[in-house]
Amino acid sequence: MFAAALNLSAPLMAEAQTRTGNPRPMDEGRFEAFYRRNAGSLWSYLFRMTGHEAVADDLLQKTFFRFLRANPVLASEEHQRRWLFRTATNLAMDHFRETKRERAVELGDLPESGASMEPREVLRHDMMKTFAELKPRERALLWLAHVEEADHEDIGEALGVKTHSVKVLLFRARKRLGELLTKKGLAPEVRR
Amino acid sequence: MSCRFESDVLRAAQEDQWSDSVRRHLHECDDCVAAAAVAPWMSRFAKIGDREHPLPDPQIVWLKAKVLQGTVDAARVSRPMTVVQLVSYLVVAGGWAAVLTWKWDAVAAWLRGFTPTGLVQNVVSGESLSMSFFALVFILASMTVMLAMHTILAEE
Repeated sequence: MFAAALNLSAPLMAEAQTRTGNPRPMDEGRFEAFYRRNAGSLWSYLFRMTGHEAVADDLLQKTFFRFLRANPVLASEEHQRRWLFRTATNLAMDHFRETKRERAVELGDLPESGASMEPREVLRHDMMKTFAELKPRERALLWLAHVEEADHEDIGEALGVKTHSVKVLLFRARKRLGELLTKKGLAPEVRR
Repeated sequence: MSCRFESDVLRAAQEDQWSDSVRRHLHECDDCVAAAAVAPWMSRFAKIGDREHPLPDPQIVWLKAKVLQGTVDAARVSRPMTVVQLVSYLVVAGGWAAVLTWKWDAVAAWLRGFTPTGLVQNVVSGESLSMSFFALVFILASMTVMLAMHTILAEE
């Protein structure tokens, strides 16, 4: 899980290991195994962020290209995974800036769910559409916090914001998604 | 986690099993209320099947990365050469501008001298541009030709 990947109890020590360790350069076999372990969850993240399979494919490949080019000397696979998510987030944000599309999936891009769709497809479609109404940063915050179970420090690192700001930003993102779900009648009742 | 109870709250929200202590905590923590409100939906959203075609093949990604790396390396290796080429353009262009500015009157007079009358007058007076000037022009012209050839060959 990303939670384990992001959860650094002693980041400085890990960084020291990063520099002084003797990691092997990644050969094709190791890369393939590493890719198979991490590409699925990274793709899911990029797809939920961008809303486009082709864009998610493209950004996934770019992330791994950068990984291979940078050949980051990191202490463990958890660190490498954290590196991947941070780079993928940066690439996704760059993509939004380049395409000038604040929302990865513009609402017009997604057709209304129709009778020709299977129930599973309708559900997926409606969920994607709801998520797409959030800002990219809100999507990233929610995905990293809820799905990857990353802590605030690591979310902050991935998004380039200070750790103490993550609490506020995450609260706002949750509120906003909660409002959207309430508006659509999808919100669960939270009994206080 | 923004609150030490958050993981308990998220688990309770996902399983819809609320203990009294968690329920009590919700009375005093807005962060956890917001988290609980979206947790089940996010959990379902994460689980919906999202891949209708396979992930890009790792071997293809590896090969593409190697090709890209080669391109990047080539660009890095050729960067000093590009800089030298750019400096050469500037030197040659500057050389021509300097020479023509320095000797413009003499060059203009020399060009005007290419008439029958002018040729006779030049022979009589013995006025002409110096050999060093022509040598300079020859060097600059040679450099221009070499630079042009290099540019064409490099592009090819």
